[in-house]
Amino acid sequence: MRIVLIVFGVAIAVLGMSLHAHGQKSTERYIPIGQSPGVSQKLTSIGEIADVDQLKRTVTLLGPAGQQTVSITDSTRIWLDRTKIKQTNLTGTFADLQKGRRVEVKYQDAQTRQVADWVKVEITGP
Amino acid sequence: MRAAFCLSNRFPFVRLRVSGALVAAAALLVACNSMPPDPPSDLVAKGRDIFFNETFNGNGRTCGSCHREERNFTIDPAFIATLPNNDALFVAEFNPNLKQNFENPRLMREFGLILENLDGFDDLANRFTMRGVPHVLALRTSIANPQGPRTGWSGDGAPADGSLRSFAVGAVIQHFTKTLNRVSGVDFRLPTDAELDALEAFQLSLGRQNELQLPLRLRGTVAKRGQEIFLDNNLGKCNVCHGNAGANVAPGNNANFNTGVEDLPDQPARLTGEKVPRDDGFGVPGDGTFNTPTLVEAADTGPFFHNNAIETIEGAVAFYNGQAFNNSPSGQFLASTDPNGIGIRLDGTQVVEVAAFLRVINTLENIRLTVDLLNRSEALRSFKYEEAARLLRLAQAETGDSISVLAGGGLHPEAVLHLRESKRLIHRAIDSFFSQRDLTRKAIEEQEKARAFLIEGKG
Repeated sequence: MRIVLIVFGVAIAVLGMSLHAHGQKSTERYIPIGQSPGVSQKLTSIGEIADVDQLKRTVTLLGPAGQQTVSITDSTRIWLDRTKIKQTNLTGTFADLQKGRRVEVKYQDAQTRQVADWVKVEITGP
Repeated sequence: MRAAFCLSNRFPFVRLRVSGALVAAAALLVACNSMPPDPPSDLVAKGRDIFFNETFNGNGRTCGSCHREERNFTIDPAFIATLPNNDALFVAEFNPNLKQNFENPRLMREFGLILENLDGFDDLANRFTMRGVPHVLALRTSIANPQGPRTGWSGDGAPADGSLRSFAVGAVIQHFTKTLNRVSGVDFRLPTDAELDALEAFQLSLGRQNELQLPLRLRGTVAKRGQEIFLDNNLGKCNVCHGNAGANVAPGNNANFNTGVEDLPDQPARLTGEKVPRDDGFGVPGDGTFNTPTLVEAADTGPFFHNNAIETIEGAVAFYNGQAFNNSPSGQFLASTDPNGIGIRLDGTQVVEVAAFLRVINTLENIRLTVDLLNRSEALRSFKYEEAARLLRLAQAETGDSISVLAGGGLHPEAVLHLRESKRLIHRAIDSFFSQRDLTRKAIEEQEKARAFLIEGKG
């Protein structure tokens, strides 16, 4: 009986548990590069794109801490940060990750820093 | 540097009658979640000022536009009906840039529903949800989760790190913008770090700072039976998810569940014929779950559930008898653990008894808060007259809630008489300079007399 109750308790807790911490993504799109509270500079890197590998779908970022290569997966969200030209931010694609552009990358895993959760690409011209 | 403290150090474990093993098992999954310590009062005061006055260069709304202090930090259709047409809440009705796809004025006025684009802003005409305004009381006890705080109705209300501190950033982008372009620096400005600190401190200061410890020594026959049903994990099963009538399955674990609210038939907002897409809850795409709200504050903060689908607390309890809940993953799970395969099945009398219990614990919390407001007012009156009067007006509103909550359930008529007298005294105190102290003391005495009809001793 005791085992049943323990299983019951664990199941209740698990039933109510999501698998990961969750920062809402929809409004994240409108937060300019470097201004995401609790995330920018802690769980992200900001720098210029030094290289893009189309086949491997990776981007190499050159930031203050040196070079960092990160994978872009189907679940990686890419946003175009057009705040500097006072236009609305847009959803982007892998093609928007171009050499020389300034980006902020949030990692899926802040420790390994291998896969991008989201990327904000700074757009400074039309 | 924020000092972390562990909720499990602060609150004793929830008592569930199935067995201590249930609690122990659930507690295995509870991490020591960090929550800011009690903030300094000046930071709270700064947060209050921002909450009620700062528009962030947006469309005129403040946090207080929807989270009204005199309405328990939420709003409902009855209150909305009292607002002037130029109130910033109605900005979609008079700002041409926000006329389409920002709010649905009919659903706002008729059901208190606010438009949210939780699943993204790429298809504004079709991808949105319509949600009620959750109160922001007792956040210190109700949003912690081992994976991170659960804010908003589905636990995913905050952008960035998902914290309560970050919540205001998402709210400004969603609700404060001048146009649907939502350009930072043009349509609004984002809160600074200092403002986010202050807003978080203010919100955490609101309402209860501790969990109840059930069972309470209630005096009322009906409410007492309601408490028994609430705590009975073979009958009401309420305490399984709403431990101690709060929001947690275990201390520091505010969890998400799919309880089938979206499957309710004849949802009021949908009866209008207005477009109300299915709300998929947590995440994108959503998993259909919503986080558990605290129940102590429920009775005077309806309508109920994320979509304001049910107007009364009795209706909200009765929801758990219906097919929508019992066919949901949560209902099915409860049924799978029940010897008779029943999720939740209460008869009419039992529904009313559980609701009576919720009405009484809500009133006890209102009385606690009212006495606190009155004491603070009394301490301030000689050197901050306006602030003292503001606290008195809040105490008056809280007492009005207590009266409505008890009288609405036909409960404790003697207590209601004392509460009416207290309200009358508070009203007089607001307008009185020389007798304010005496009237305030008498109002507190009436609150205590009312309380004595609800519960034995100090509870």
